[in-house]
Amino acid sequence: MIARVVFLILIAGAAHAQSRTNPPDFTGTWGPYRAGRGADPKLAPPSASPVSLKPEYAKPYEARRAAEAEANRRGEPLATGSALCVPYGVPSMMSVAVYPVEFIQTPKQITIIAEAFSEVRRIYLDRPQARIDEVPPGYYGRSVGRWDGDTLVVDTVGIKESVQYQRIPHSDQMRITERIRFVAPDILHDQVTIEDPVTLEKAFTYTLAYRRMPNYEMVEFVCDNNREYVDDQGVVRLKVREK
Amino acid sequence: MALAHHSFAMFDQTKPTTLTGTVTAFEWTNPHAYIEMDVTDEKGAVKHWSVELGSPSILMQSGWKFKDLKHGDKVTARISPLRSGQPGGLLIQVTLPDGRVLGNGPGRGPQAPAQ
Repeated sequence: MIARVVFLILIAGAAHAQSRTNPPDFTGTWGPYRAGRGADPKLAPPSASPVSLKPEYAKPYEARRAAEAEANRRGEPLATGSALCVPYGVPSMMSVAVYPVEFIQTPKQITIIAEAFSEVRRIYLDRPQARIDEVPPGYYGRSVGRWDGDTLVVDTVGIKESVQYQRIPHSDQMRITERIRFVAPDILHDQVTIEDPVTLEKAFTYTLAYRRMPNYEMVEFVCDNNREYVDDQGVVRLKVREK
Repeated sequence: MALAHHSFAMFDQTKPTTLTGTVTAFEWTNPHAYIEMDVTDEKGAVKHWSVELGSPSILMQSGWKFKDLKHGDKVTARISPLRSGQPGGLLIQVTLPDGRVLGNGPGRGPQAPAQ
């Protein structure tokens, strides 16, 4: 019995050591894996935690959501960046409609290309994170990753305040932590946790699930025929042609 | 939580409309593809319509190819018209000259969520 336990411990230790030297390979193309669309409930992502904004941020956020809902009821949707082909940035680019994302993994860097708007993010595996106030605010910020066993832990800072997930306000202090791992041979989960000491009462978390799309060839996405425009009331309109 | 390129609220999903006419252009472009078509009414007057589709990626996921339509093709398109009354709309489905019926992407069309 004791010998058996020791043997199991040795196997577990060897597996752990191996996982540190040979991390999983996420290279490939991944599409959204959503409940209700043939997804196995056992592999479905857990529910998102509630977003708890500080009162001074919650009020304008709720007002904006209400105005958007009312505008949609009227059939006059309010302008959004994406309607004008402004890219989504991190983390929204990881879950745009049914568009896939492609991971390209090397020992020192993982590059993720989102099909929608051809967005690119780079996760450095061989260097430390910079201080938040040293990263110029942008759409993708700066991401570094490390392996925690078979989970890739990605830390992102430097997302500019106009680049919002679900219109949730954030400050220049926002920090995004992703935990990306296989939950089945061809299913990935990306657990996204967002912390912001300025706007949030507490961190919130949501999880994205992806299915492997073998042999899928990513489609180019250059936004050169955008007919949506914003009128002087901030309403999105569609240009129609005379002929 | 998935995001979409824009809200579809500008289209009236309660008033599906059928357009029968001639394709003047099929634009396989982003962020949306478009069918431009001339529609002749009972009195013989020609009106031009712009019909918005999903993106090429979304269309390909539901069986579309970039050569499925061309200038001069006769088609019947079912659309959700613009609420503004302008001659434009969002495709629900189109019947091609060879009889095939194509939709507007997987799970897409008038019921597509804004967010």
